[in-house]
Amino acid sequence: MTKPADYPSPFLPSEFVAPPTDPADERIEVGVLIVGAGPAGLACAIRLGQLLADSPETMERLGDVPVAVVEKGKQPGSHLLSGAVVNPRGLRRLFGDRRRIEEMPFYGPVHGESVYFMTRRAAMPIPAPPTMRNEGNHIASLSRLGRWLAEEAEEGGAMILPETSAEKLLVADGRVRGIRTGDKGRGREGEPLGNYEPGSDLVARVTVLAEGTQGHLTGVALQHFGLQGENPQVWALGVKEVWKVEKPLRSIVHTMGWPLRPSPRYREFGGSFIYPMGDDMLTIGMVVGLDYRDAALSVHDVLQEFKTHPRIRKMLEGGERVQWGAKTIPEGGFYSLPRKLNAPGLLLCGDGAGMVNVPALKGIHYALESGRLAAEAAFGALQRGTTPATPGALDAYDDAVRESYIWKDLYEVRNMRQAFGRGFYLGGALASAMTVTKGRFPPGPFRTEPDAEQEIIATDRAASYPAPDGKLTFDKLSSVFLSGNKTRDDQPNHIRVQTKVPREVAELWTHMCPAQVYEVGAEDGDGTVIVRLAPSNCVQCGAITAKGGRLTPPEGGSGPEYTLT
Amino acid sequence: MSILVFLEHHGDELQKGALGVLAKAASLGDADVAAVVLGSGVKPLASEAGRFGAAKVFVADDAALEAPLPQPRVDVLAKLVRDHGFESVFFANSVLAADVAAGLSARLDAGLNWDLTDVVAQDGKLVGKRPALQDSVYVDVGWKGTARLALFRSGSFDATTTQGGEPQVEDVAIELEEFSQAAKMVEQAHEADESGPSIEDADVVVAGGRGLGSPEAFSLAEDLARALGGAVGATRAVVDAGWYPYSQQVGQTGKVVSPKLYVALGISGAIQHKVGMQSSNVIVAINKDPNAPIFEFSDLGVVGDVHTIVPKLTELVKQRRGS
Repeated sequence: MTKPADYPSPFLPSEFVAPPTDPADERIEVGVLIVGAGPAGLACAIRLGQLLADSPETMERLGDVPVAVVEKGKQPGSHLLSGAVVNPRGLRRLFGDRRRIEEMPFYGPVHGESVYFMTRRAAMPIPAPPTMRNEGNHIASLSRLGRWLAEEAEEGGAMILPETSAEKLLVADGRVRGIRTGDKGRGREGEPLGNYEPGSDLVARVTVLAEGTQGHLTGVALQHFGLQGENPQVWALGVKEVWKVEKPLRSIVHTMGWPLRPSPRYREFGGSFIYPMGDDMLTIGMVVGLDYRDAALSVHDVLQEFKTHPRIRKMLEGGERVQWGAKTIPEGGFYSLPRKLNAPGLLLCGDGAGMVNVPALKGIHYALESGRLAAEAAFGALQRGTTPATPGALDAYDDAVRESYIWKDLYEVRNMRQAFGRGFYLGGALASAMTVTKGRFPPGPFRTEPDAEQEIIATDRAASYPAPDGKLTFDKLSSVFLSGNKTRDDQPNHIRVQTKVPREVAELWTHMCPAQVYEVGAEDGDGTVIVRLAPSNCVQCGAITAKGGRLTPPEGGSGPEYTLT
Repeated sequence: MSILVFLEHHGDELQKGALGVLAKAASLGDADVAAVVLGSGVKPLASEAGRFGAAKVFVADDAALEAPLPQPRVDVLAKLVRDHGFESVFFANSVLAADVAAGLSARLDAGLNWDLTDVVAQDGKLVGKRPALQDSVYVDVGWKGTARLALFRSGSFDATTTQGGEPQVEDVAIELEEFSQAAKMVEQAHEADESGPSIEDADVVVAGGRGLGSPEAFSLAEDLARALGGAVGATRAVVDAGWYPYSQQVGQTGKVVSPKLYVALGISGAIQHKVGMQSSNVIVAINKDPNAPIFEFSDLGVVGDVHTIVPKLTELVKQRRGS
């Protein structure tokens, strides 16, 4: 049996770790450097702004740019995608009485929720599992919320640098010195074009990696400093659409079951979400664990199939799809968290570190909280008489995270995701037992295998995907268009995969990728085929990294330009 | 509503796109539309602009303007706007015109609307039309003050001649800022084999997609384009596959073209391609897949094999043209 892990990515983390190379007077020096303008990174920037405002003396010592945030997207929010029903706890802690929830760009609080178990024709209401109750939470587009947070961060004095990818981790003398930004204006073979602009060294006293799921430098740092947790990380892939609709949806809806198959043979763990976005929009998405095995599984097409269910079709009738996007979610949970969340000069936050509560479908408030705690730890280590560069100087961050609700919440559900590797029904029963006992029964940790270690099976699943009609169901390319992606085509390929692989591996990637990046090319003998790539379609969801390849950041400003996701 | 139109030239010919913008400007009801030609040895080109509606043509003929560099041109235009009080300056999009327009906007602290496809005069005010959201809607754009700078998408207007006679030609002495002379042209390279019109200028574009089957089959597109006096375009898929150069790519991430006739050979018509050619006057598609999306937005659709149809079509075009 073949598995993607047998064809590992031609990728070496060491290629992305280097000492600073720009001459000292050409390096850009900042105080605290944050990678990624998402909830974790922006919360960190906002909290630092608050702390520095009260400590002009510290601010003074951090130079002209005390806080900088680099963001690879066109603007903050361009690469943010989530459900999202947000637990407001993280925002309340971050802003205190400085900002009220009512001032933030939410689509209102959750009014009622239902969970259904789906079959092809019917939808049976089931009681919401206790972990999934959302009373008191607020509905948001994370992209929109991110733009607002970015404004708040800038108002607090942070400098945000969009269209800037963090390509290398600068490490010298065993400590992190900052990052090197990616080159711009290179051609397909890496040759400099007319508008070539080399990257630069951004050096900082503390570097905070808040890159989100499948963070490029987070992955590099975990390996370089040996910070991986007890279990490997695993991921799910979510694909979602935003619709303008005629009839408002009142409550939030989650579904399990069809079109996913319950048998443990397929390992299809996941479900859908449908959330109202005000009176005239809703968002509908499908999430499937990437430990699935069927080469023909395509989350994008499963979502299209799902929309043809009579109950779902009715919700969308007369409506229009206005945006589409995809992203992975770290699902390993407690035992997949890094062993340590800091290294000399370095802090790890949010989704990048795997802070997601799968049974609750929540992670944004953990990202915000970890960003806030990272800011406080960085600030503490920048006081006179200390330096963040010494080993242990940033341990206060790990201590604070362990004391926080992030740790407590994730510990309670520590084995729940793993239970579903045993199929939907047994998994559900185990999860119930875990809920009742707060995770004490059954005892664990449950074993987790990397997603790429799952053996590939072949089925005729693809036959059940609906043919796109351009109204309710859509193909991948027109979907990529609605992500706003207009990446320059003649830039180097940023996706590291083997391009001569067995047919089943090529087919797995082709079906898996929601953005039509991979194509099965010509036979190459012995059941091997050539994999053809269209990297400019990529929406940087990160699924390929889970299934044997490796995503690296393309030229800054590439990729989707989400606004409503 | 005095308008100045920037006329670009290639060799000893004024560029058609710019003449189209001039003709449009003349149709807006301003009797004194002026044009400006900048370069070295360009004086003989000036009178040509009269046929397209220019009442007056400013000519800055100077060796210092030979290289197609933007800043010296910004100097001349800024001075013209200041001295003559032009309220609007129009440009037809090109690499050079976009640079000049942006530079002039900064120099005069004037508003620039770009990627316009039309402009109308409403109650004595200019209103530009600009496609937005991947060309799915048109928005009206205006200017808060003068000078109003407008950069038009290529192919937006036909270069129609007017009754206009000989324009008044006025020489302009140039005064270049020191910083404008800092850039020197070191080398100018042209894509080899520029046999036909450029893809953005051509009245006819014959474009090929994956359905052609092989890079060699692009000769079908080339032959037909030659017979029709047009240029050859390509889809992203075939450019990605290395069948055709990136410079000929039509679509969202390539060139946006609007010829009079667009012939799509073996192109499925993904939306990424559509947004690069949908404003063509007439779209003809030949594809063997009757469900190809391109048939939804083509004026004439032929379901069939390009390899058999296109050679016959080319032959027919040659016969008609020959006779």
